[in-house]
Amino acid sequence: MTTSPIGRRALLRGAAALAALPALAACGTGTSRSSSASGGSGAGGGKTVAVRNSGGAYGEALKKAIYDPFTQETGITVQVANLDGAQVLAQIKQGRPQVDLIDNSMMDHAKFVRENALEQLDLDRLKNVKTAQLPENLITEYAVAVNFYAQCMAYRTDAFGGRKPESWADFWDAKAFQGGRSMCNPDADLPELEFALLADGVAMDKLYPLDVDRAFKAMERIRGEVKKFWDSGPLPGMLLTRQEVTMATVWHGRLADLFKQGVPVAAQLNGARRQFQGYAIAKGAPHLDAAYQLFDYSIRPEVQARLAMTYPTNPSSPLAYDKISEEVRNGLAGAPQYYDKGFDADTEWWLKNEEAVTKRWLGWARG
Amino acid sequence: MAATLAGVPARPRRLLASRRTRIGILYALPAVAYLLALFVYPIFSTLLLSVQDLDGSLTLHWYADALTGVNLSVLFTTLRIAAETALFSLVIGFLLANAISRLRPLPAALAMLIVVVPHFISALVRTYGWIIMLGDKGLVNQLLAGLGVPGAPYQLLYNEIGVVIGTTAMMLPYTVLLLYGVMRGVDRRLLAAAASMGAGRLVIFRRVYLPLVAPGLATAGLLSFILALGYYITPALMGGPNQTMIASLINQQVMKQNQWNGAAAEGVILLLLTFAGLLLVKLVSSLGEAKKRSAS
Repeated sequence: MTTSPIGRRALLRGAAALAALPALAACGTGTSRSSSASGGSGAGGGKTVAVRNSGGAYGEALKKAIYDPFTQETGITVQVANLDGAQVLAQIKQGRPQVDLIDNSMMDHAKFVRENALEQLDLDRLKNVKTAQLPENLITEYAVAVNFYAQCMAYRTDAFGGRKPESWADFWDAKAFQGGRSMCNPDADLPELEFALLADGVAMDKLYPLDVDRAFKAMERIRGEVKKFWDSGPLPGMLLTRQEVTMATVWHGRLADLFKQGVPVAAQLNGARRQFQGYAIAKGAPHLDAAYQLFDYSIRPEVQARLAMTYPTNPSSPLAYDKISEEVRNGLAGAPQYYDKGFDADTEWWLKNEEAVTKRWLGWARG
Repeated sequence: MAATLAGVPARPRRLLASRRTRIGILYALPAVAYLLALFVYPIFSTLLLSVQDLDGSLTLHWYADALTGVNLSVLFTTLRIAAETALFSLVIGFLLANAISRLRPLPAALAMLIVVVPHFISALVRTYGWIIMLGDKGLVNQLLAGLGVPGAPYQLLYNEIGVVIGTTAMMLPYTVLLLYGVMRGVDRRLLAAAASMGAGRLVIFRRVYLPLVAPGLATAGLLSFILALGYYITPALMGGPNQTMIASLINQQVMKQNQWNGAAAEGVILLLLTFAGLLLVKLVSSLGEAKKRSAS
């Protein structure tokens, strides 16, 4: 027993050091610059461009469908950094961005604009914006949308005796379509107020500005059926596969894996919410020329189509869909036959209201 | 602090306060400088951030925000879940460590490996494993339903039960490793001696064994409480909105709203809670020391 006090002392000291861990983990994220993914000048004097994307399967698809062919065509090496938006923003504010080109949601780009963190775009250097016939609203002063994702409902085809839910009203109707539901948590995406309003009878073209009170009242009706508010992309698919729920909201692209596995699941694109993803250039980007080149390259319809063939993402250029095989096209929420069923999320409205709605959502959900 | 904790009388300490101590300070200098730069400075800048308004003026309204409304209830939730996790990981860890400490070295190492290995699996994969185990159509519920247990299937996920199962499993390696070390240090002859004096098993456990491992219990409990305070992935994946932890709010503020000041205030509150926990354990253990001394 003689060693016990020393051991305990050491342990307490260890515990004291650990005490600071939660706080550090919570606060330290953005204060330190990660130096692992270097964004400086390339090796051997060759030109490089550094691009930020969210990584994962999407990141791999980008490399295969866009970055590698781009390097082949131009000789410019593409370096990838999977940074959080907050990290990129902190770097730009320090005046030393690690990346030139930022692949992010248009909503996040708008937040960066508020912080004065993006280069104003010289559209003359983005020739393909015209040739790709991008819709006007996808071209802003600081960012251009290249693709979008759709958030829609998915359901188990074996759960309702052959009947198909057709609308958000059906999603809300727990008597006719029994079983648990799953909806998204603000950790993952914007609260699904639009779906609640559609279920409550609001017309799709009259959604914005959202009637928040009415939406939360409608959400209240489905609250009891929601077993889990999903906070990561694969979760709703997992819950459907395991029959934990019969219907869920889902990022449409995530369903492709389930179809491949033969899970009896189908998507309903009526009332789907579209959110756009695009490129912007970091203020003070060290490789401005190369950044414009990769930017312009990514907008080409055939490049957008190639990405869509690799990963279920929806090109922003209407011309791209002709270049996608019919089989793949029919699985995309952006295909011409589905497009009119959904609506675009109003970035402007959400920028103004996201914070307040998120806070109210948490209070509501904890109820 | 260490001196009072260990109960070392002050006299021999004063004898040491000579050249040796000064050389000791010299040796400690690099480490101190390292901690100052990489630990103390960031904490102070966080502190500063938490009392600054957006225009740079001093304010306490981030703290007022953090301590009212839904944020306050999240804070209480965090404390509650951390306490529950500490309790369960202590009890289960105690039983496991006790069993392992009686094993021969090889099986003991194997058992330890089984406790620690799940830690090397990513949190996401592990949580999906839990869905397969604990879901409505999961192994446990299927088994219970098959046995005809009334009330099955039970809701074991997306509520507090699910969260505590998940966080406790995360914490077990720490408590088991810690308690195992302490238990190996217990002199078994003391237990034998107590038995030879006619003490029953319960009395031996309560009067001899438990006091010997008590310091380890306190440390293990504190450690899991502190670690659980900062958890958020497991509670987010295995719980519902009612199990939102404060770290989740901090993450949201930084990542989604670019709101560093409010996040800093919540981080500071978390740090203070941790210190309060440390203080509590120190108080309890020094009380215990005092009691022991007055008894002898």
